[in-house]
Amino acid sequence: MDLTDLIAPDALVGSLKAVSKKQAIQDLAERLAERVGLPAREIFDQLLQRERLGSTGIGHGIAIPHARIRGVDKIVGAFARLEKPIDFDAIDDEPVDLIFLLLAPEDEGADHLKALAKVARALRDSDLAAKLRSSRDAATLYAVLAAGSAPNAA
Amino acid sequence: MIGAALVLVSVLTSTLAFRFGAPLLFIFLGVGMLAGEDGLGIYFDNATAAYFIGSTALAVILFDSGLNTTWRSLRQVAGPSFVLASVGVALTAALTGAATHYAFGLPWLDALLFGAIVGSTDAAAVFFLLRVGGIAIRDNVRSTLEIESGSNDPMAIFLTLLLVQVIMIGGDAGDLSRELLTGFVAQMGRGLLLGLAGGYLIVLMANRLPLQGALYPIAILAAALTLFGLTGISEGSGFLAVYVAGIVAGNAGIGGLAGLRRFLDGMTWLAQIGMFLTFGLLTTPSQFIGVLLPATGVALALIFVARPLAVWLCLIPFGYRRNETAFVSWVGLRGAVSIMLGIIPLTAGLENGQLLFNAACVVVLVSLLVQGWTIGPMARWLGVAVPPRIGPVERFGLELPGTADHELIAYRVVAGSPVLQGSRLPRWARPSLVIREGRSMRFQYAGRLQVNDLVYMFVSPPFVRLLDRLFASPKELAEGDEDFYGKFVIDPSQPLPALAEAYGLELPAGIADGLTIGGFIGDRLGGAVEVGDRVTLGAVALIVRDVGADGTASEVGLAIEPEAGAPKLPLFLSGREMWDALKTRLRRKG
Repeated sequence: MDLTDLIAPDALVGSLKAVSKKQAIQDLAERLAERVGLPAREIFDQLLQRERLGSTGIGHGIAIPHARIRGVDKIVGAFARLEKPIDFDAIDDEPVDLIFLLLAPEDEGADHLKALAKVARALRDSDLAAKLRSSRDAATLYAVLAAGSAPNAA
Repeated sequence: MIGAALVLVSVLTSTLAFRFGAPLLFIFLGVGMLAGEDGLGIYFDNATAAYFIGSTALAVILFDSGLNTTWRSLRQVAGPSFVLASVGVALTAALTGAATHYAFGLPWLDALLFGAIVGSTDAAAVFFLLRVGGIAIRDNVRSTLEIESGSNDPMAIFLTLLLVQVIMIGGDAGDLSRELLTGFVAQMGRGLLLGLAGGYLIVLMANRLPLQGALYPIAILAAALTLFGLTGISEGSGFLAVYVAGIVAGNAGIGGLAGLRRFLDGMTWLAQIGMFLTFGLLTTPSQFIGVLLPATGVALALIFVARPLAVWLCLIPFGYRRNETAFVSWVGLRGAVSIMLGIIPLTAGLENGQLLFNAACVVVLVSLLVQGWTIGPMARWLGVAVPPRIGPVERFGLELPGTADHELIAYRVVAGSPVLQGSRLPRWARPSLVIREGRSMRFQYAGRLQVNDLVYMFVSPPFVRLLDRLFASPKELAEGDEDFYGKFVIDPSQPLPALAEAYGLELPAGIADGLTIGGFIGDRLGGAVEVGDRVTLGAVALIVRDVGADGTASEVGLAIEPEAGAPKLPLFLSGREMWDALKTRLRRKG
């Protein structure tokens, strides 16, 4: 499983304009709505419910909002680089500017966790994060993510 | 005069040792050796005197470690610790004995005697390295190790004395085992009973007698040493007795405990330095050369085979994780006790006495170097070290007369701390005085706090750690934080079913409807919660990141790959893992 297997090029945003955590999540939920064939509202609600348990901001400016959603048939993700970092109640109180969003089918608990761990591990690499931060367009982001999750760079 | 000078040199060298991270106890031993026959030429070979100094010093150390052992940690790990301290020592001794038999070609009895001599972990070394090493070890692992090391010397001492006796009178195997059993029960029983009784008497004496301040800790220590001597005379284990008495005194509400602890802290240091110096002087390093190779071999067999095997077997029933078992077996430090026990065959005039003594010294040196030096890295590698949650704090505590449950503490305000960023002091902190640039002023009139201010407050001890957070220097997210505490932070006041829903986790049967995540963790851990405690739930683990004033988890980490970060060892299967493996095997067959 590759990071780019989780996201399609059209679910990549090079410079998302968002002023709040909710707005950022809403925006990405809308981008995935068509892909999974569900109303954006439903996706957004599930993601927000997860955030209520505790922020998915894992520190160093990175957040991985995620949720299991009924009706989603395979794990799907979206990635955004924010134009301006936003407050995300992250673990280290640092504002967040890289968001990797993951949606998982309801019946695939183990794969969901595996994908989540994989994303978190990959983004922990500070070189990869720096490269993502300096990329402005979707194509470059895609290439960086593809190279970053290759086995030799992991 | 020479003694005092040596102590001074040792203390001065210790500042160097801290800088280089070298095992301090090794340095003390080294200073003693340097001053001895092969170095400066101070001649000292009075083994009886050395034994006397050593055992007295050990009694002080054991009393102190008992005093610092809380009921809570004792209850938590009593089972595993005592199995390690009894069966574990015997197993280690037997296995090491076997290695000795082949390495030195000694007769079996002598080889087993050597196994017993190096059979116990050293309380002084373990306590010192676990506390001062600059790492915080997970609570249950640290308590296990400390209580083990505090209580396993009596067993090793007993085995050694017994084997020396048997060798001297030439007993046979049947007699040996019978005597081993009855003697052991009698000695330990007397030690335990006299320790309990002595502990209560000491508390009674301390709380009733009008003693003058400075004399008070001295009287207590003298009482403890008297108990040690009396138990010895009545054929009980004096070492066990002082340790038990220390536990009783420390937990039974003895007056002036803080002062006593401070005094004993100093005394324990002196005892350790004295012990290691004396033994350093007693040894003749030039004689080590003859036994160096086989003894190093035995030491390595002890470190890498005997101790791990014994620890693993002892801990199987207690559900320790593999990495925890591995760490417990790594912290099998040998120290002054082994050298002291090495003196026994020497004074008893055994044929191989000198050889055994020299070999014991080499084993201790190897253990202090190999294990002592690597505890920190090992703890981090195995994931049993708790990453620091807050930056350093400058705090000073003052003891108050009277029984009010409050302490006067002073904090120095450091740059970047939350109080400077505008976090308000809670009302219960009762800030009373601020000292700024040498002038004192009342808190109300001090205005905003400034860097380097000293703030004096009256607080109840359980709240101190909440204040610590306010006065701590800023802390970056620690390296390894997510490996230890998990990737995500969870709010423990949220309902448990919501968490289960978010990750598709199966809840155990019989969970109450309104149970919160924090409540679930508290239930699983039996109420008492410590930072770093883990509870598994399906495929994820919940880890306590922080504990609130009410003793429940106030911040929880969620690990989605519970075993990531720490290496997965192929060894040390836990009881549960073996049971699972057995079940799968059986299912496959049937």
